[in-house]
Amino acid sequence: MKKKKLAAVLMAGIMTCGVLAACGDTSSQNKGGQSTSSQTAASDSAQASSAGGDNTSGSGTEVQELSVTTWDNDNSPQFQAIIDAYEVKNSNVKIKIIDTSADEYNNSLGISLSAAQPDPDVIWVKDMGSMLQMADKEQLLPIDDFIARDGLDLSIYKGAAEQLMYNDKAYALPYRNDWYVLYYNKDLFDAANVEYPSNDMTWEEYYELAAKMTSGEGSSKVYGTHNHTWQALVTNWAVQDGQNTVVEKDYSFMKSWYEEALALQDNGYIQDYSTLKTANIHYSSVFKNQQCAMMPMGTWFIATMMQSQAEGETNFNWGIATIPHSKDTEAGYTVGALTPVAISAYTDQADLAWDFIKFASSEEAAEILAQQGVFTGIPSDAALKTIASAEYFPEGDSNVEALNYVHYSFDRPLDPKIEEIRTVLDEVHEMIMIHSYSVDEGIQELTERVAEIKGW
Amino acid sequence: MSNGKTGFLTSGQKRKIRNNMIGYAFILPNLIGYAIFVFIPVVFSFVLSVMSWDGSKRPMQFVGLANFADIFGDKIFRGTLLHTITYAVMTVVPTLILALLLAVLLNNKLKGVAIFRTAFYFPYIASIVAVGAVWNMLFQPDFGPINEFLKFIGIADPPRWVVDKDWAMVAISIVSVWKYMGYYMIVYLAALQGISGSLYEAASLDGANGWQKLWHITIPMLTPTTFFVMIMLTIQCFKVFDLVYVMTGGGPGNATKTLVNYIYEKAFTSWEFGPASAGAIVLFAIVLVITLIQFSGEKKWFKDL
Repeated sequence: MKKKKLAAVLMAGIMTCGVLAACGDTSSQNKGGQSTSSQTAASDSAQASSAGGDNTSGSGTEVQELSVTTWDNDNSPQFQAIIDAYEVKNSNVKIKIIDTSADEYNNSLGISLSAAQPDPDVIWVKDMGSMLQMADKEQLLPIDDFIARDGLDLSIYKGAAEQLMYNDKAYALPYRNDWYVLYYNKDLFDAANVEYPSNDMTWEEYYELAAKMTSGEGSSKVYGTHNHTWQALVTNWAVQDGQNTVVEKDYSFMKSWYEEALALQDNGYIQDYSTLKTANIHYSSVFKNQQCAMMPMGTWFIATMMQSQAEGETNFNWGIATIPHSKDTEAGYTVGALTPVAISAYTDQADLAWDFIKFASSEEAAEILAQQGVFTGIPSDAALKTIASAEYFPEGDSNVEALNYVHYSFDRPLDPKIEEIRTVLDEVHEMIMIHSYSVDEGIQELTERVAEIKGW
Repeated sequence: MSNGKTGFLTSGQKRKIRNNMIGYAFILPNLIGYAIFVFIPVVFSFVLSVMSWDGSKRPMQFVGLANFADIFGDKIFRGTLLHTITYAVMTVVPTLILALLLAVLLNNKLKGVAIFRTAFYFPYIASIVAVGAVWNMLFQPDFGPINEFLKFIGIADPPRWVVDKDWAMVAISIVSVWKYMGYYMIVYLAALQGISGSLYEAASLDGANGWQKLWHITIPMLTPTTFFVMIMLTIQCFKVFDLVYVMTGGGPGNATKTLVNYIYEKAFTSWEFGPASAGAIVLFAIVLVITLIQFSGEKKWFKDL
């Protein structure tokens, strides 16, 4: 009985101390710790924590730790290559990577920023919409003063840095840059005895080519081209000419593009939307398994294909062409998006964080990333050459030419409500592609719901 | 005499306090966890429901009932309420009937009855993500096994299930029924064991057949259980999120978006914690009403027993 009692008191004491320690309220220790056992427990935990503190600060006088957030870091070299390069250059800096899966990235980052903690210091921003959300919530550090102090020349980004400005403030530097190109399977074109897609092709010519390249039946069917389930694979072409964006008061400009996409699907030149959706089919597997002759996709897929060829996962000849253009514009109009890199407003190491993002978006970093098949915010012939000379980049000058563009539109405009509008775009896109809505019904719903979100 | 009582506690009172303290010490760890992860957030969400807050460091603003006006004025929110109720009806009724039938069938001393019981219970312990993914394949409209079978038995134009706005919720309900009926079958089995055999013997003597025994003895005797199962299932249905998230993501369009999906989207896509919390309060109110019905029902049924 006595033992039990003692145990209970001890437990209660430890619990109380746990609570107090967690709150960091040292003054109430006197009130709480009356029995000797709880006092020892308290001083034990205090010693333990101070010892832990000593350890980190003891070695931390030399080494500075910088924490950065990344997504899917294991799957792509895009972050690690830069982090490694920075650590090599700055031996006194240790970079702590906070990695999250791509799907969860914006959620988990948003929640951790709500806590307003000094970590993370550096934030890789997954899409520009979430950059605006964070900027609106004052969670990003404006970097205008740093740019002015260091006299950073923004002209190397060819306008991209200015495009990232929001309310006349700079919150981020451009890190990656990706735009849409047309991938094609050379072997399938050779087998069908059809000429490869050219770098100057209208959408009408592309549709014809898709029809010509469709062959076979059932599981051995080869589709002329491939539209992944993203709304971007339809809406991007509607905003390609730069006349409209996906945030408009009137969406009738999208009508013909949806009709064309449905025509491709209903004629069987692309895989059915519902099949892709229900079977959760990734676009890369469709192209890698040679189930489609062409595929419009972002430049990020180049690195994926090069890696796949290098590892022997695939072994066929492939090529890159400029994305088709509408009759009214010339070749080389494309659609893309930037991946910005920014600093948390709550960082305790603003100077170091600035130094890191300056490096990450420098010409030096661009060269490192080019070797990995990654394009950056600094478009340069040197970077193009580096990518083109990589071992598994497709052979032939036309593939390098395909990477040039004359006009660049953002796939989504810099609008603080863009994430909400994107949900609407996705939902309506799905309803149109599965024929639950007619194109007109879809466009009407888009117009209404976006107007409601924007308060028009 | 009175002095001793007011100034000092009697040994009995002392012991009582001591025993209480020991009791509290034992529940304290759980209580702390409950307070931090359940109680405080719940209270906080009540506060948030009358505030405007975007999850940033900026101060919240009191907006009164504007958040409620906001969500009830939202066509999408009203849609999610409707979808949730549809889902609840389509899930609760078949689950009840099937669980009862299974329980009655498996209450016999058949050979291998344990295997059947296990088989029907199994879906309940399977991971919902795996279940959703596998059923999505089964429901695949063009070459999925279910539609292949439907075509085989002569249905030329089977539903397109999760990619049809009218059938997607039906598909989710089918999976829910399949998943939950095993669990409620066990609940019914337990209740069946509690029905006195003498009732059936008396009925047999009067010449009642099996169907009559089921209708006039089993089902009436199970009424309190049925009531309990119905309430639990309904609450479960109103809270549905995971299965919808895995199977359709609220689509096609927003045809299967439920209350919790809406709350999630408002909170973590739009970062509007006010309307999201208001939605949560609405959900709370619905569940509260159902629970109150259960409480009053419980009093009624258990007084009778």
